[in-house]
Amino acid sequence: MSTTEGAATLARTGWTLGVLGAGAVASVLSSVMLGSVNLPARDVASVFFGEGSALARLLVLELRLPRTLAAFATGGLLAVAGALMQVLLRNPLADPYVLGISGGAAVGALLTMISGLGLAWISGSAFAGALLSTLIVFGLAHGTGSWTPTRLLLTGVVVAAGWGAVITFLLAVRPSPELPGMLYWLMGDLAHARGNVLPWLTLIVIVGLALPLGRSLNVLARGPLQAAVLGVSVRRLEWTVYLLAALVTAVAVTTAGTIGFVGLIIPHMLRLVIGNDQRLLLPASALAGGILLTLADTLARTVIAPEQLPVGVITAMLGVPVFLYLLYRSRT
Amino acid sequence: MPASPARSRPPRLWWLAVLVFALVLPQAAPAAGGGNISVSDDRGRSVELSEPAQRIVSLAPHLTELLFAVGAGDRIVATVAHADYPDAARSIPRVGTAAQLDLEGLLAASPDLVIAWGSGSPGTALERLEKLGITVYYSEPGDFAGIAADLRRLGRLAGQPERGVREARAFLNAVATLREEFGERPEVSVFYQVWDQPLMTVNDGHLIGEAIRLCRGQNVFGHLDSLVPRPGLETVIAADPEAIVSGGPGEDREDWLEAWRDWNQLTAVQRDNLFFIPPSLLQRHTPRLADGTRMLCEALELARERRAGPRR
Repeated sequence: MSTTEGAATLARTGWTLGVLGAGAVASVLSSVMLGSVNLPARDVASVFFGEGSALARLLVLELRLPRTLAAFATGGLLAVAGALMQVLLRNPLADPYVLGISGGAAVGALLTMISGLGLAWISGSAFAGALLSTLIVFGLAHGTGSWTPTRLLLTGVVVAAGWGAVITFLLAVRPSPELPGMLYWLMGDLAHARGNVLPWLTLIVIVGLALPLGRSLNVLARGPLQAAVLGVSVRRLEWTVYLLAALVTAVAVTTAGTIGFVGLIIPHMLRLVIGNDQRLLLPASALAGGILLTLADTLARTVIAPEQLPVGVITAMLGVPVFLYLLYRSRT
Repeated sequence: MPASPARSRPPRLWWLAVLVFALVLPQAAPAAGGGNISVSDDRGRSVELSEPAQRIVSLAPHLTELLFAVGAGDRIVATVAHADYPDAARSIPRVGTAAQLDLEGLLAASPDLVIAWGSGSPGTALERLEKLGITVYYSEPGDFAGIAADLRRLGRLAGQPERGVREARAFLNAVATLREEFGERPEVSVFYQVWDQPLMTVNDGHLIGEAIRLCRGQNVFGHLDSLVPRPGLETVIAADPEAIVSGGPGEDREDWLEAWRDWNQLTAVQRDNLFFIPPSLLQRHTPRLADGTRMLCEALELARERRAGPRR
């Protein structure tokens, strides 16, 4: 790589992250400003300087800010999970929701909730569910030869349908007092997010872990044979990415339920603009996914206020057309 | 806060949610004493107020109704969608639906007491409210006595203790009168239809099951474990109930009963024992349950009269 090229890459990286960072700040601000209760912008601003009315402080600091942070981290996690899976499968249609990984995590989490184990167990069993799902989908779709996109998607869709049935079964045999909450949680709803420390921690750690892998991931994206020829330990790298993707999905699902399509839309749109260099794509996905989900959740809270929508509805409305478009374009 | 009235929505979905979720029967615990106002709620937690609540938020239609019954309707500053009884309840500002709360709107109403529905209100949201220092009373009346207990306790919390006691007594008296009137009558086998697709009914542990027993009905699915069982059409036909009672999808829609007329080999159909009772009278845990139960008892009495066969 020549120096001018290197400088160009650096400039592009700077620009991309700068623009996305600004977007992130703007999305968080708008999410904190808007809600079902109209607070004047001045009141919201004064809260951050330690003033403001008691009500404004309550709404902004106790409700809007924690929820916004949870939304941002969850969106980032979902986008990174999508980006990782797309490298692994060399297929832009890979997404934790479409491939049934989120469904597996949801079943894991639901089992914990029904059996009444503590909150601490939910993430763990969600991870187990996500991992099992990943193994089933990738294992079956892999078969003897290489992945074919059709086979992968079909396997994923069928596994997702299976998890859906398990969820319906669990809810039917064990109606619990938590049921109304669970239904919305399963549709993807940040109203049930209990904290934002775990998702943020995971997001930072995952992006930090993925960056050193970026170069190998770039090579893997070209195909396992080329990667092996170029000295990448393909098996190990693939397994690492499996685990990371499952972990990221599990944390996202534990936080906000099964929100679909963020992992599909974000990496795809970013690739159109900044290319397919994973070293830039992964952190950019984290930021853009956060922006998307923060804005989608702001809509979910305000669009039919005082009634509230699960945010999964909004991401699906955006994601389904994108998915169909990608599928249509991949006919050739 | 923009106080938009309840949005018009298909009522079916909401009722389905209510029927599926209104199902847990914790026992009422004895009220605790104390310096200020202190009552024990249906989860056995002690709820304390230094003075009667002035700004109450009610998180389910039947809770709003209970509050109006004890004369605290004018203290409700916000409620949720579908709180439509009495008429005055329709103009109260809304903060979401029973299952999806608008927490911002709720906090903006600055309540000093929130009445939550134990099995219907979203747990995470209520945990957050409690953490913010808001007093929450969980209501989950599982039987006639539970409704009376809630009336008494809500009366105390809202500064209407005598009114609460009076309403509770009136309700229990109405139930006792029914028991006296119908408690010795011969049994009638009954299928109570909560929902049509899928078919849903109640077991003996449910409040509606208790009403059926009081009227000397014999619930054909009363022995099932699930509080709201979903029997197949075949099992209903095989059970051949003497009477079919349903709430229908709305307050005055008897569509579901009409559908049974196709099965004219059923005893209930042959004797025209298809009875409609407005769902809000039998399915909401409020004092109006006494009215709904009276309608049920009278319907079953009619079924007994029809045993003699059609008059010529």
